[in-house]
Parts: sequence; C-alpha cells; structure tokens
Amino acid sequence: MPEPSTKLPTGLGVIFWVSASWIVLLVLLALFADVLPIRDPEALGIITREVEPFERPGWNAWFGSDGQGKDLFANVVHGARPALVLGLTVTLLAASIGTVLGVLAGYFRGRVDTIVMAGTDVALAFPAIVLLLAVRASLGNSMWVFIFIFTVLGIAPYTRIVRGATLGLAEREFVKAARAMGASGFRIITREILPNVVLSVLSFAFIGFALVIAAEGSLAFIGLSLDRTTWGQLIDDGRPELVDHAYLTLIPASVMFITILAFNFVGDGVGGAAAIREVSTVRRHRVGPLPDAHNVSGASSGDQRLVLDVRELTTDLVTGRGVVHAVDNVSFQVRAGEALALVGESGCGKTMMIRSILGTFPVAGVDRSGRIDVDGTDMLRADDNTRLRTLGIDIGTIPQNPLTALNPVRRIDAQIMEPMTLHGGLTAAEARARALDLLEQVGIPDPTSRLRSYPHQLSGGMRQRVMIALALANNPRLVLADEPTTALDVTVQDQIMRLLTDLRAGSDMAMVLVTHDLAVVEGFTDRIAVMYAGQIVETGPTARVLADPQHQYTRALIRSIPDLRLDPHSRLATIPGAPPSLLDPPPGCRFAARCPVADSRCRSELPSVTEVGDDHSYTCWHPAETTVEVARGR
Amino acid sequence: MRLVASRAGRLLFVVVVVSFFTFLLLDTAPGDPAVALAGLNASDEVVAQVRADLGLDEPFLQRYLTWLGNALTGDLGDSYRTLGVSASSLIRNAIPNTLELMFLAQIMALMISVPAAVAAARRPGGLLDRMSSSIAFAFLALPTFVLGIYLSYLLAVRLGWLPTVATDLPSLTSDPLGNLEQMFLPSLTLALGLVAVYLRLLRNDLVATLQEDYVLLAQARGVPDRRILWRHALRPSSLNLLTAIGLNTGALIGGTLVIEILFAIPGMGRLMVTGVFGEDYSVVQGAALVFTVGYVVVNFVVDLAYYLLDPRIRHA
Repeated sequence: MPEPSTKLPTGLGVIFWVSASWIVLLVLLALFADVLPIRDPEALGIITREVEPFERPGWNAWFGSDGQGKDLFANVVHGARPALVLGLTVTLLAASIGTVLGVLAGYFRGRVDTIVMAGTDVALAFPAIVLLLAVRASLGNSMWVFIFIFTVLGIAPYTRIVRGATLGLAEREFVKAARAMGASGFRIITREILPNVVLSVLSFAFIGFALVIAAEGSLAFIGLSLDRTTWGQLIDDGRPELVDHAYLTLIPASVMFITILAFNFVGDGVGGAAAIREVSTVRRHRVGPLPDAHNVSGASSGDQRLVLDVRELTTDLVTGRGVVHAVDNVSFQVRAGEALALVGESGCGKTMMIRSILGTFPVAGVDRSGRIDVDGTDMLRADDNTRLRTLGIDIGTIPQNPLTALNPVRRIDAQIMEPMTLHGGLTAAEARARALDLLEQVGIPDPTSRLRSYPHQLSGGMRQRVMIALALANNPRLVLADEPTTALDVTVQDQIMRLLTDLRAGSDMAMVLVTHDLAVVEGFTDRIAVMYAGQIVETGPTARVLADPQHQYTRALIRSIPDLRLDPHSRLATIPGAPPSLLDPPPGCRFAARCPVADSRCRSELPSVTEVGDDHSYTCWHPAETTVEVARGR
Repeated sequence: MRLVASRAGRLLFVVVVVSFFTFLLLDTAPGDPAVALAGLNASDEVVAQVRADLGLDEPFLQRYLTWLGNALTGDLGDSYRTLGVSASSLIRNAIPNTLELMFLAQIMALMISVPAAVAAARRPGGLLDRMSSSIAFAFLALPTFVLGIYLSYLLAVRLGWLPTVATDLPSLTSDPLGNLEQMFLPSLTLALGLVAVYLRLLRNDLVATLQEDYVLLAQARGVPDRRILWRHALRPSSLNLLTAIGLNTGALIGGTLVIEILFAIPGMGRLMVTGVFGEDYSVVQGAALVFTVGYVVVNFVVDLAYYLLDPRIRHA
C-alpha cells in the first residue's frame, strides 16, 4: 500500500509508481478472478467445511470469513470487477460528454456557453443523493442504471475544467494564428485545443474514477446496492459485526480506501506533470559570520551619532534559478539627522539593500553576512525580541506603492495604532490620540473620520500620507523610504517629499531615500550612495558627487539627464545596455561591459576603493580625470 | 440591496427547478402510494377513494403546483405510510438533529482546520506543512462512511470512549451532555472530511497573502509572526474558505445522510432513506425540498458574509 509519507508527491515519485502498481494489480485481479486459485466467493464454509464461520484472517482464509464461512478474500477479489467496470465506464462516458460540452461552451461562448453553464450549475446545485435515491428507486439496481446515474452526475466537473481551459487557450497566440490562417473551427478544436486539455482531463479522470467507487460504496452503505457483490456491499454486510468481528468490515473498507487513494495519487501525478508545481518554499534565513573585528571596531567606535552602520553586507537570494547575489559586500553609514540618497538603475540592489536591513524578503531562502547596526542593535544577530523592538521603534518604513501597503480589510486606526500599542507602550486611548495627531501632522483633512476609514476609501496620495504617519508613529531614529513617490501623481510627488523634509526638520531623524529622481536627490539629501549591480560604486556628499562624479557609472547616470534645470523631474534615462545578471556577475568592474572607457584590467580586476577626501570615495580604474585623457588620446 | 434581491431571485429559481425535477422523478418511481396507504387487501374502490383523497388522479403539473402552493404554507401533505401523520411533522422532528449535526461538523472543521492552516502557512514546505498536506490528502480520499467505520472502531469499539450508535437520542435542551456524547462521533466524522478541504484552501491563500506588500511591511514594523498570521493575514485570506463552506454544504448534506444511517441518528437523511424504501414519497419530496432550501439559504448567507469580511465589497 502507499505508505503515509511526510512528503507531498512531487512529479512521478515513488508514491505514484506504488499507486499505479496497485491499480494494475486490481485490474489483473478483476480480469482473472475466475481462473485464479481462490475459493468460490459464494461457497458457504459451513457446507464445504473448508472455512469455519467467523474464521479470523490467517493462512487458510487470508481475510477471514463471515458467519456462513464465506471466504472474504475471494469476495474482495471478485468485488474489484464491478468497481472497475463501473468506474471505467462512467469515467469514459462522463469525460467524453463533459469534454465535448466544455469545448463547445468555451470555444463558441455566447448562448452555447450560457446554456451549458446553466445546466452545469443546476446539476451541481441538485443534491446528488436525492437524484440517486429517486432514480435508483424507480429504475432498479442493474449495472446500467448505476452507469446512467453516475454518468449524469459526473459530467459537470469535466465540463467546467475543459471550458475553463478552452477559454484560456482560445486567447493564446497559436490558436489565434491558426484561426487567422483560416483553419476551420473543427480543426482548431481537434488539433490545437484538445491536445492541450487532455492532461487536465486525464488528471481529473483518475480522481473522478475514485469518486465513482466511493459513491457506489455510499449507496451500498445506505442499502441501495448493485445487483452483485461489491466492496460497498461487503462493508455494509460486515458492519453489524463491527464489535466482535471488525475485520469483516475493516478489510473491505481499507481495500476501498487504498484504491481511492491510489487513484488520487495517480491523478495528482498526472496533473503535476501538466501544471507548474509550487516550488518548495521553506523559509530559510541564514546569517554568516561577523566580518573582521578590526574592520568593525575600527570604524564604528568613533562616531556616537551613527544611526545606521552597514559593514561588508552581502545578501544572497536562493531562488529556483540559482543564487542571486543581490547585495555584494556593501558598507555605508548614516549619521543622526542625515539624509542619504541611494541611487542607481532598477535592479541594482537598492530595494534589496532596504529589505536586508528590515529582514523582510518575498523569497524563501536568504543568506546574509556582514553586519547591520541600527542605533547599536545588530539586526542580523540580535534575538527576536530585540530585533522586533528595534524594527517597531527605531525604524520607520515608507513603501514604494502605498496602494498595496495597507491591509485592505483593516481600518486605518487599527493599522496606525498597532505599532504604538505593540512596541511604544501606549494604551489604546493614548495611541488613538496620537494617531489623530499624526494624521493632522501629515496633512490629512478630517482625521477623525479618516481614522475610521478603510484603505480603499483613500486616494493614493492620502494613503502615502497614512504610511508616513505610520512610519513616524514611534518617533523612529531612522526612516527608510523606498521610492516613496514613484507610484504617485506628479502633482502629489512634490507634496510628499516636502512633507517628509518638514517632518524631519529640526529633529535628528536620519533617512535613507531610495530614488530615481536626481532633482529629489539634489534638493533633499546630504549624501549620496550610487549602487550598481549590488555594489556601492561611489559615495560622497550630494553636492560634490553631482558636481564632480568620479565613477564612470555615476557620470553616465548624470549625463543621461539632458539638463537638470530644464527638466528637473525627469527620471534617469537609460544607459545603453543593461546591468549584468546578479546570478553570475562578471569578475572585475561590473560596469565594464557598458563602460565607454573600459579596458582589459576593468574586465578582470575589481577596482579598489579610492578616497578623494571629504568622505567622497569610488571604485573605478578610470575615474573622471583619466576619462578626459583617454578621450583626447583617441 | 438590489444585489441581494437578484441573488435571492436566482436562488428561488434553483429551489423551484430542483423541486420540480424531484417531483417528476418520484412520480415515475414504482409503487402506488394509494395501494400502500389503503393496504394490499383493500378493494379497488377503496384504493380509488384514497387516490382521489390524495389528489393523485389529477394531472402531473396540477399536482405539482398544488403541492408547491401547499408547501409555501408549510403543508407538505400526509405521509403515504403512516395514516394521519403529516410529512411536515415528521420533518419537523427530524430537522433539529440534522441541523445540530451539520452545525457541529462545521464548527469542529473550522476549529481544526484554521489553526492547522495557520501553523502550516507559517513555514510553507516545512515539516508541519508537509505533514498536514499529506494527512489532508488522505482524508480527501476517505469516503465518509469508511471514515465513520474507522472512527467508531477506534473510539467506540477499541477505546470504548463513545457509543457506537445513537440510542434514544435525548434532545439537546433536555439533556445537553447526553445528546452531545452521542452526537460527538458523527459530527467528528463529518468534520474531518471538511477539514481536508478547508485546510488546503486556507493554507494556500494564507501563503499567498503572506507575500503581500502589507504583510511584509507589517513584518518591517516589528509585528511578531504569530500576530501577523492571526491579525493581518487570516481575514484577507478567508474569502475562499467562506465560499467553500457554502459549496460544501451540498456535500455535507450527502455526508449527513450516510452518517445518520451509520450512527442511527433520527434526522432528515434517515427520514429520506426510509421514505424511499417505504415508498413514502410525500416525505421524500418534503425532505428533498428542505435540503434544497437549506443549501440555497446557506449559500445566500455566505454571499452576505462577504460584505462583512471584505470592506471593499461592502462599500462598492
């Protein structure tokens, strides 16, 4: 029997083959029941003297015998035949009729679809057992009646499955192409659509087969049995003996259960071959060893005002396609009151940088190493309580898309008050008063009624204001804002940035601002860190870096904007080419492939960090000055 | 409000169609109720008289409309088997037991499946998740009556904790403990079949919800995992579960029927089955109507419950 495994069947595993073997065995038994060396199922042991009445399962009678000494094993073997005949016939009929109806409904739609689906709905709403009882009562108990009843009841699910698949397929390119080339409806259906739905139908057919066996069992159980010995009937016959001779009912019940399970496993395996299975998503967050003690103490000891201290941070995401090196050996610091801009093209690791600090990842496997200190708390190694407290109190997060950032089924008040009551130590009443205050601060009109609203009742700009209020709830030391204005209207973008600046003014709240908008970088931040392919390639005071960029990538970024003054809000235009894949980043400088001045050293050797004073540093073999020379030399 | 009215109209349509077909099917069933009621030895005149009293000599459509009209006033006709007993009174006695069974089963199913789904979704692909998925898979393949046999063998025969069949089932109001003792095993059997469906569904929806922005942001605000699962993720994940509760009422009706036979509970299912065997078709017809209306009402309530769970629909 298929053993109860702790693993789900993935693809065609062991369980699939064990189940398939069980089905093959049943088919063989059903075919050759008459010629097998087993007893006559009807022979009475009390007459033949071969079997005692109520003989327990053993060598003589494998499954034991009933009160008249009928051999249970022989009966179970012979019972396989009606189960399989009924299951097979009904499945073939129901699947064929259902497939035809489903294809017609899905392909022609309109009125055909309406009629077929109305019929399906009524068939599914009709309490099946009522039909079974009524038909069985009026037509008798022959195999044909059973086949008829079960087929009528079994069509609807196939129709639904095939109709759904056909609706989807009819819109696909290859079907449209075939239609455009003048193929007839019949040809499209038989050549293009049917081959594509056959696996789904086959998969459900096995499950449907099992349902037929179970349904026959249920009917036999209520006393409406077929005109020959079936498993259901054996179970029902043995039931009065449950207390004294439990094997009489437990054995046929188990045979039926195993059979149904086997059909389900096989159907699941067949379906699994067709569908994309859910990738195993065991959440596994690993943290690597601390970087060199020398390095860490060397830099962080001096400055008490460091709010965020990132050292040699590396974040690897373990995905189905391989390991993505999202953040690679990144170090930077943010002091109290300071605003740092994190800039770079999409996919350069800016958002992953923020997520690494917060420890929230949409993927399952994450390896981080290095060190992230937020106000002195080691975010990678602190115990859960400390970490959650730091997240709740010291860090405020403003998301990229306020439309998906609020829980749609919770009211605004519940969402804003939560961090204050959970971590801020406020009572519900105090938290409500502060929430009201915060909404007023972030410029939301009529805050009292807004508190009782649900997110969908607020505009995008309003929701981002709510997110800012939420981020500021516990007066954080550090605000992480991940492109807080990208998802908003242009007119609202400026308001939100001004609001953020006003709220920070006079406090020593630090901020990391991920942005594309160089005008925002220029107007609202003190320092800048340029990221490329998971690394920081240049960092320094905002004014200096913008005026005198060193790294070729920074230069390209700035150059890609025609004129800052003419078009202050333009996004960073694209630089020719695309950033390298972070699955397998190139050795050497990662920008080399797109860099106008790259040479062989750039492609093989990672540039070291060069300091140009005043907190300004970069990693480039050919910084700004040399570019000019190279350009002249040509 | 208009939506409510149109839903109600559609559901009413289902009730009429289903009751019509049941009426038609039972009309073609063998056995003459008039003969049954009058007795086999009754003379032809007496049988004809009984038939006229029952209104059986009128054309089919007229009989159906008369029945439908009477049904609306709560009169489902007389039992064809037992003289002087109305089908309504038989049904009225049976309904509480079936309702209790179905209600207990749903409560038990939710009490088991919701915590299990939350625990499984916490670590998708983890040991707990894989174990609960496998168990759910097995339970899905287990016909109600087989599960009932297994459970009564284990809990009643082997361990002797509970009675195997209900005997003189006391009413819930007069002897609540005695009633629950007998109803526990049947309800549990029904519940376990539902658990498999609910667990899979809720677990999958929870895993999807846990990838949502607002959940990741709640984590970023330092909300502990347990609170995220129960307070943040459960409600937005439970809409499909609600649909399933409605849809499974149909399956539950079938399951109740089998369970009432297995555990000898005097409910609607048993009334209907004995009605079929006794050719007591007025009772069968009435029971079928009650089942259909019950199914339809549950689905109607589920539609309304959406409004409570999802404010976006409520304000739409």
